[in-house]
Amino acid sequence: MIKYHPEQSQLTQFVQGNISPAEALIVSAHCDLCHRCRQFVQHKTQLIAAEVFDTPQPKDSLENYGAMLAAITQLPASETAPAAPDNKLNLSTPEPIATFTLVKTLELDGHQFTLPPTLQRIAAKTGNWSGLVGRLWQAPVELNYPGVANFIYMGRGGSVPEHTHRGVEYTLVLDGEFNDGINNYRTGDFVVMTDDNTHAPHSEHREGCLVFTLLDEPLHFTSGIARLLNPFSHLFFR
Amino acid sequence: MLVGIPVEQSNSVIKPKDCAAEMSDYIVKVAEQRCKASFARVFGYFAPRLRSYALKQMGNEALAMEMVQDTMSNVWQKAHLFNAEKGSPSTWIFTIARNIRFDMLRKLQNRKEDICSDDLWPVLCEQTPDANEQSLDEQITLEQIGFMFEDLPLKQKSVIEAIYIDGKSQQEVADELHIPLGTVKSRTRLALQRLKGMLQDHD
Repeated sequence: MIKYHPEQSQLTQFVQGNISPAEALIVSAHCDLCHRCRQFVQHKTQLIAAEVFDTPQPKDSLENYGAMLAAITQLPASETAPAAPDNKLNLSTPEPIATFTLVKTLELDGHQFTLPPTLQRIAAKTGNWSGLVGRLWQAPVELNYPGVANFIYMGRGGSVPEHTHRGVEYTLVLDGEFNDGINNYRTGDFVVMTDDNTHAPHSEHREGCLVFTLLDEPLHFTSGIARLLNPFSHLFFR
Repeated sequence: MLVGIPVEQSNSVIKPKDCAAEMSDYIVKVAEQRCKASFARVFGYFAPRLRSYALKQMGNEALAMEMVQDTMSNVWQKAHLFNAEKGSPSTWIFTIARNIRFDMLRKLQNRKEDICSDDLWPVLCEQTPDANEQSLDEQITLEQIGFMFEDLPLKQKSVIEAIYIDGKSQQEVADELHIPLGTVKSRTRLALQRLKGMLQDHD
């Protein structure tokens, strides 16, 4: 049962296209996993679409569009497969302009993890897994736009030293469970941490925990010797 | 020069919920027959409204028209993905427009990797092409880093401490210790290289 969701205001901004592409990515990935938020987004999309298109014909002269219309109808039909048989509204980019390779699963340490569809589109740009301190594994994902994305896997008993955040840290739990001393998070949970929050994530789950994280600024380690990690905090940032 | 296809002027009184069925039929005809006349009806209804919305949202005529063109191109090319049972044409086209919007934002924000040839990267991690080769237990602990830190020469240690534990800037450290900024930088660099060396010896 998913307990932590994006705020409704953030979901609404997502529907309107008014959040950053990086935020849109992780919000959309949460919606892949969360029926409730998916329903909310679908409903909101219907309402806003009706608002936008339920308007009188604007007064701009239609001649401006003749050339555009002609150019569009010169284009060949796209050769993508027909819509997926399931009834999910495709929240993420239906077809990005650039071609991409779908990567459906991630493999680490003998485990295989199925990714939500939104992340399948970017997972091809995942770098190598690196072992960090404390049974922690990380693989960066190249985004090409601001924001730093990583898959992070905490093995059983794995932990991230206590830290706060200079910007905003989004975490989506993809598999397993972790606890950060504030709450316990399970698959599908969407966790937002800001510079007001200090936490120390660890996982005692039998299978450990795989998360997808998004940062806009490096972490800042707060406790004792872990502060020495701050020069290396780009490990968690980049 | 492209010869413009006359755009069908739709009746301004018609609202999308009233014409949803009609628009659905046109989109299906586009999908099945590549029917340009049907597409012109869809285009005539949605393009100008989309432009007003995009203009409000982005405040830029060129970007607004790009969004209209990209969205309507998707409608033309991917009409076969439309499924009237899943939602109205308005909802479908709006969803495409939003995704185009995110694509445009991505392009606008696309930054060339600010390459910092940061040789710190390998310090705390090892590239492991095969995750199974290294046991999770063979990793460096925080305590070990602490011991290594204690082993640093005093001058390097004080610089590292001031910067990374007290959070001072390199300039502040230079001012306090009455040494040139360049010296602070080189001590930092040496210290981090030394830490890196110690971590490698650890293996």
